[in-house]
Amino acid sequence: MSIAPTAGTTDRTASPAVPEGRLAAARLRPTRATVLGGLLGGAATSAGIALTATSGWLVVRASERPVLLTLLAAIVAVRAFGMARPAFRYAERLVTHDAALADLAERRTAVWSALVPLTPARLGRRSRSEVLTGVVDDLTDVVEAEVRVTVPLVSSALAGLGATVLAAAFSPAVGAVVAGLLVAVAAGCALAWWFESRSRDELLAARADVARVSDLVARQAAELQAIGAEATALGWLDDAHDVLARAVRRQSLGRALVANLLLLATAAATVAAASLVDVAALGGPVAALLVLVPVAVGEALAPLTDTMRALARAQGSADRLAAVLGQEPAVTDPAGVDPTGVDRPGTAPSDTDSAEPVAVDRADVRLAAATASWTGERTDVGPLDLDLPVGTHLAVVGPNGSGKSTLLAVLARHLDVTGGAHRVDGADVRSLPLEEIRRLVAVVDDEPHVFASTLRENLRLARPAAADDDLRRALVLAGLGPWAAGLPDGLDTALGTGGRGLSGGERTRLGVARAVLSDRPVVLLDEPTAHLDHATAVSVTDDVLEALRERTVVLVGHRPEGLDRLDAVLDLGTADPVPTAKE
Amino acid sequence: MRPLDPRLLRAAPAARRPVAALAVVGVLQGLATVATAFALAALVVAAVRGEPLREASLSLAALLALRAGLAWTAERTAARAGARVTAALRTALLRHWLTVPAERRPDPDRGGVLAAQGVAAVEPYAARFLPALVSAAVVPAAALVALLVVDPVSALVVVLTLPLLPAFAALIGMATRDDTARRWASLSALSGHFADVVRGLPTLVGYGRAERQAEVVGEVSRRHRTATMRTLRTAFMSSAALELLASISVAIVAVTVGLRLTHGTVDLGTGLLAILLAPEAYWPVRRVGAAFHDAADGAEAVADVLAAIDGDPAVADGAATGRSGVERSGAGRSGVDVRLEDVTYTYPGAASPVLAGLDLAAGPGLTVLTGPSGCGKTTVLELVAGLRTPDTGSVRAGRTHLVTQRPFLPAGTLREVLRLGSDADDPALWDALRAVGLDGFVAALPAALDTRVGDDGVGLSAGQRARVVLARAMLSDAPVLLLDEPTAHLDPAASALVHDVLARLAERRTVLVVTHRPELVARADRHLTLAARPVEALR
Repeated sequence: MSIAPTAGTTDRTASPAVPEGRLAAARLRPTRATVLGGLLGGAATSAGIALTATSGWLVVRASERPVLLTLLAAIVAVRAFGMARPAFRYAERLVTHDAALADLAERRTAVWSALVPLTPARLGRRSRSEVLTGVVDDLTDVVEAEVRVTVPLVSSALAGLGATVLAAAFSPAVGAVVAGLLVAVAAGCALAWWFESRSRDELLAARADVARVSDLVARQAAELQAIGAEATALGWLDDAHDVLARAVRRQSLGRALVANLLLLATAAATVAAASLVDVAALGGPVAALLVLVPVAVGEALAPLTDTMRALARAQGSADRLAAVLGQEPAVTDPAGVDPTGVDRPGTAPSDTDSAEPVAVDRADVRLAAATASWTGERTDVGPLDLDLPVGTHLAVVGPNGSGKSTLLAVLARHLDVTGGAHRVDGADVRSLPLEEIRRLVAVVDDEPHVFASTLRENLRLARPAAADDDLRRALVLAGLGPWAAGLPDGLDTALGTGGRGLSGGERTRLGVARAVLSDRPVVLLDEPTAHLDHATAVSVTDDVLEALRERTVVLVGHRPEGLDRLDAVLDLGTADPVPTAKE
Repeated sequence: MRPLDPRLLRAAPAARRPVAALAVVGVLQGLATVATAFALAALVVAAVRGEPLREASLSLAALLALRAGLAWTAERTAARAGARVTAALRTALLRHWLTVPAERRPDPDRGGVLAAQGVAAVEPYAARFLPALVSAAVVPAAALVALLVVDPVSALVVVLTLPLLPAFAALIGMATRDDTARRWASLSALSGHFADVVRGLPTLVGYGRAERQAEVVGEVSRRHRTATMRTLRTAFMSSAALELLASISVAIVAVTVGLRLTHGTVDLGTGLLAILLAPEAYWPVRRVGAAFHDAADGAEAVADVLAAIDGDPAVADGAATGRSGVERSGAGRSGVDVRLEDVTYTYPGAASPVLAGLDLAAGPGLTVLTGPSGCGKTTVLELVAGLRTPDTGSVRAGRTHLVTQRPFLPAGTLREVLRLGSDADDPALWDALRAVGLDGFVAALPAALDTRVGDDGVGLSAGQRARVVLARAMLSDAPVLLLDEPTAHLDPAASALVHDVLARLAERRTVLVVTHRPELVARADRHLTLAARPVEALR
């Protein structure tokens, strides 16, 4: 798999998906193929019920010691139902899984296209990779619902209806009993769904908290030992586990209740069928068949409790997915500007019909009384004046909430200013295509992603045309020279999932190597050393500043390591040293 | 994979009771299921013969009600067992990691993932797979025994056909194993692709590569579909074959029963019982197979966690699990001696030792440790604190409290942060805050000690953070305080305040500080310098 651009051209002019299209990928809707799968599943379930019923008929009829020939039809039927069940089940599984995978492929492309314009400003301010992992998991849940919800619901309804009709054909009274059983099962399902939905969010929050605490304790084991807080940490873990155990037990109440009700309803229906069946009129064999039907139906429909759990889960996933994908992009290309203009760097901008044909030659950045906001509701940074001629090394410090990340987002044009001006080489950026500014800026954040690919591909995404020598030079400048030299397969070494793991420091340096390789004149470093230990942080910062000596560097951090090596320090938090409430 | 690793119950004793409860409920359910077949057969016979249904109805209703109650208990027990077993295993793992020195822990990324997501996979294993395993063991056995008593001929048919299932499954497995393994490998790469590129989306957008990737996403997803369906076709085919085999076996029982009924060699009740019991002998085997795949992740996680705990050589050798190599003595608040003798330490994976043959001694009072960057000063503190174990030599110290360069400041209230490592009451907290000059600042906060500070103490200035962790150190009753560059990033005024506090603390305890600050060195009772080799006392 290549993460570098594929050969051949792609349509860059495709307009961003409209909100309707974006939300379609998040919607729970059965496809025609899964309904067909449900019908096949219904045939399989019906065959199972019929197998039990005809076996009962066969045995009772045989006990009447008839001529063997009269049993042959029943013997054939028993065998046919016995073989039809696995055959239909096999067909059902093939059809539904293929349909779900086709739908998954389609939705993945749609979700990808919807996510691109939302990245990164609409993916949260921190832990974007968690938000994105959530999107992937939620999409899987939504698509899995077709197999786990649509199919069992359709097939249960079909089989239940079939059993009712069969029973009613012999005895309307027993038919009514079976219908009553179905109503009871349906009510039980509704109850199970209600319990599952009610406890879903609580359970998710409890699980997330257990994961957070255990991750924290595992990572901070040494620091906890240092201050003798081991018992306190295990206490946090116990508390989180207790909350989770309570949530799990509350959720299990629904399933327990339904499993209980289902068996009670089966008992009542069986006893009712036995007392209502008229042996004299129907004969022994048919009477046996009718008494066995409720048991067979009860057993066939028992898995519906799992279905309700899957449904509640998929609904939660669909809601979360819609909440992410339904957002408006934070920045868009200005109307009338040809976004393809950026693909021809160096050509005279007068070729295009853009409203304000300005070429950006020098990445001198200037903010004048600039303010910016993530949501539009409150001002997150500014008003701020900032002059960054090419080659400036600026540190930005300040407590959380003082606007450090917001400032970087503006400089990277992930956000546009809400007031004041943002000019690059004298031109107002809002009149320029997004890519015109973004191609000047490389961002290294605190969680650089390592793709499951070779080291070469992991670097080349920053500059596809780069030769191996360029890659090696970038690695050396980022302080990864000795590390790269020790790799078994050099640039062909597989990294990421399934490949070689990287330490936190190595990951940050890989991000820096990409920025170096990209040749972009402005490099923004967003707390690159936040997760590193002190010694590594100092050495990474030193190497980064050296590697980027001739470019503009804006380094954000609330750790003071190495900030004294920069030209200037902008403190956004001088006014307010008071601890802020945790967001 | 082993269905139930006995080491799980040894490593996490708290898991024993829920697992035992699962087993008991499972056995009762199995027996009740077999009993229901008897009651159902009796009811059908009564209905067919036109006999009074009262007795048969009542016993069937009673048994189904019993099963309903057991089903309730089973669901509750399974949920509780899932939560309890997972919690017990996670606690055992983290307790182990909090007990051993740094060399015996995995790197933080791997450790965090194993403790959080890895262990979570154990929950479905305990809540779903173990109950299925119990019923797979109990129900066929009980059904077979009942059949043997009621109708030995049918029992013989079942005994002869039942082993065909696992044998057939093994045959299919063998025939498709290589193929399946190859496909799974390429499949996991394909299925991981989307998650991988989505997580890297900010990077791809940053370098203008995201829109081109849309086509790759579509292409890989289509290949994933094709490859998955190839694999699934084999899997579905083999499970259909097994189900067919079970169906045919049940049909053989039904037909032989039918033939014997027509000859009058068996009565109706027995025949009905045989056809109701026979399927119970086969279906659980199939069900556990389905649950087996869901549980494979969980079993793997159990193995990983047990390897992390049991695989630790020191535990396996039966050696002390504590932070060994360090003698702990002296409680209370009077200072005690710290002594390192001939200590050599090598970082895991490093070629040469960072410390070799080091002797060092510090007694009550203020001792400062200086030396060039990278000479191992931090390592000395970590050895004294027992966070690391020396390769050779001995470390002797009392209980310690180490203020590292990046002190642990979790999200929480100021009170919670200050009370990490002690159970001080509010007056003691205020005393400590007064000593570090933060009492006025905290008192002025609207929520005072209940003010929340974020991860890493965000919202506090660097000087305030330094003083908060110093106040926390004062609250600890460890006789030995170790501090690693406590004033490296503070302005002169804040530094002077911290230095005053350290000097005052040294009146009652052993304080060992790594520092570059000449003002602090000047106030020390003892000054040690760490070169590449042994340390000498200058004063």
